[in-house]
Amino acid sequence: MTLDFGILLQDENLPLLLQGLWVTIRMTFLALILSCFIGLVIGLGSMSKYKWISSLCATYLAWFRGTPLLVQLMLLYYGLAISLNIDLTASLAGVLGLGMYSGAYVSEIVRGAIQSIDRGQMEAGRSLGLSHWQTMFKVILPQAIRRMLPPLANEFIALTKNSSLLSVITVAELMRAANTIVADNYKYFEIYLTIAVFYFVVNYGISVLIRLLERKLNVEGVRS
Amino acid sequence: MIEITNLDKYYGSHHVLKDINLTIGQGEVVVIIGPSGSGKSTLLRCMNYLEPIQSGQISIENQPIGMIEQNGKHKEMPENQLNKMREKVGMVFQNFNLFPHLSVRENITLSPLTLGKMNKKTANETASTLLAKVGLSDRADAYPDQLSGGQKQRVAIARALAMKPHVMLFDEPTSALDPELIGEVLDAMKELAREGMTMVVVTHEMGFAKDMADRVVVMDQGQIIEVDKPDVIFQNPSQERTKTFLHKVLTHT
Repeated sequence: MTLDFGILLQDENLPLLLQGLWVTIRMTFLALILSCFIGLVIGLGSMSKYKWISSLCATYLAWFRGTPLLVQLMLLYYGLAISLNIDLTASLAGVLGLGMYSGAYVSEIVRGAIQSIDRGQMEAGRSLGLSHWQTMFKVILPQAIRRMLPPLANEFIALTKNSSLLSVITVAELMRAANTIVADNYKYFEIYLTIAVFYFVVNYGISVLIRLLERKLNVEGVRS
Repeated sequence: MIEITNLDKYYGSHHVLKDINLTIGQGEVVVIIGPSGSGKSTLLRCMNYLEPIQSGQISIENQPIGMIEQNGKHKEMPENQLNKMREKVGMVFQNFNLFPHLSVRENITLSPLTLGKMNKKTANETASTLLAKVGLSDRADAYPDQLSGGQKQRVAIARALAMKPHVMLFDEPTSALDPELIGEVLDAMKELAREGMTMVVVTHEMGFAKDMADRVVVMDQGQIIEVDKPDVIFQNPSQERTKTFLHKVLTHT
């Protein structure tokens, strides 16, 4: 067997892959923001003293964690368009799908980190006359965010990898770019190995960034 | 100042506070003592409604805290009203509960700034004054984890005072401290008492009770069994249970 990486330089293959990579990064980044937002809302909501809010959040978690991302993407993109005439663009469906799916996992990270903060912190804030939410945002969350970072790194890496599923709903991201090229020249090994390296580099970047962030936050306030 | 009438509290079916009645006057220092599990900390925590109560009433400066009567019904007061009431009541915890992600100064100014009570300049000045008062002027930029237990507790006292409370509650403020650090915290409390602060203190420091208390409250099994001046409680208590308790604590110290 011979491997021919020269194939990358033919037929505009490399620019095509880099374009796909850019789409992957963009989609992942947007989905990541959405996922953090949903995660925070659902995570805080799941601890609400109002039963209807916490049940709603529990249902969200159960659904989006309990069904395959691929199925959710199909429902969002093809299902909504064909049955309900809600025609989302592939990119929008992709970001929404990834973000909502990942948001379920992030909500559990948020909840776990908040609950790991000593109860005395909330009591101290409340005894100083701060409201529940003032204490949450000024006292509890700044401490909880530090504890969220390591599991968030895992989740964001998973999110990047899961973005390859967007190829199925026609988003021209890295995986789809590879599929297109391979359909043409059958250079499976070369092309898929190349995108594997691309994914790896992105994910390695995420893990380094989060490690840096962890270190920065730890210097500011000495660990508890 | 603080008026507690017919207070009852349950944890599930466990009756932890039984028909508590207690009035604390302006400028008074009241020390609550009693065996562990007697409900003394719980009672203290009810005074700023960190613990919900099932019946009875607590009022501070003639205003109810926590529970209110509305249309003849007993119900919890709205949160903003409760927060307002809590501003009048400073609290110091056994485990300090300082905010570890904030510097000493930020611990003290967080609440006045967040609640818009002071501007940044006034808040920082207040923090400096209070830190000087508890003897920690040089630690304003330290983080809680860089302080000893005694220093932490003095910062916690300064933090509570920053809200200019009308009464201070101390929940076993020296119980988590190494013996040699207890004195510095008690000194800060004594100074506060001398300035005329109304104080309610749950403690095992019988020396502090003897020296500083205007009245000592003895609790056992969720009830107040005796309230009197410290010399009466320590020399001539009327209740057998008080004698037994004091005998146990005093022979070991």
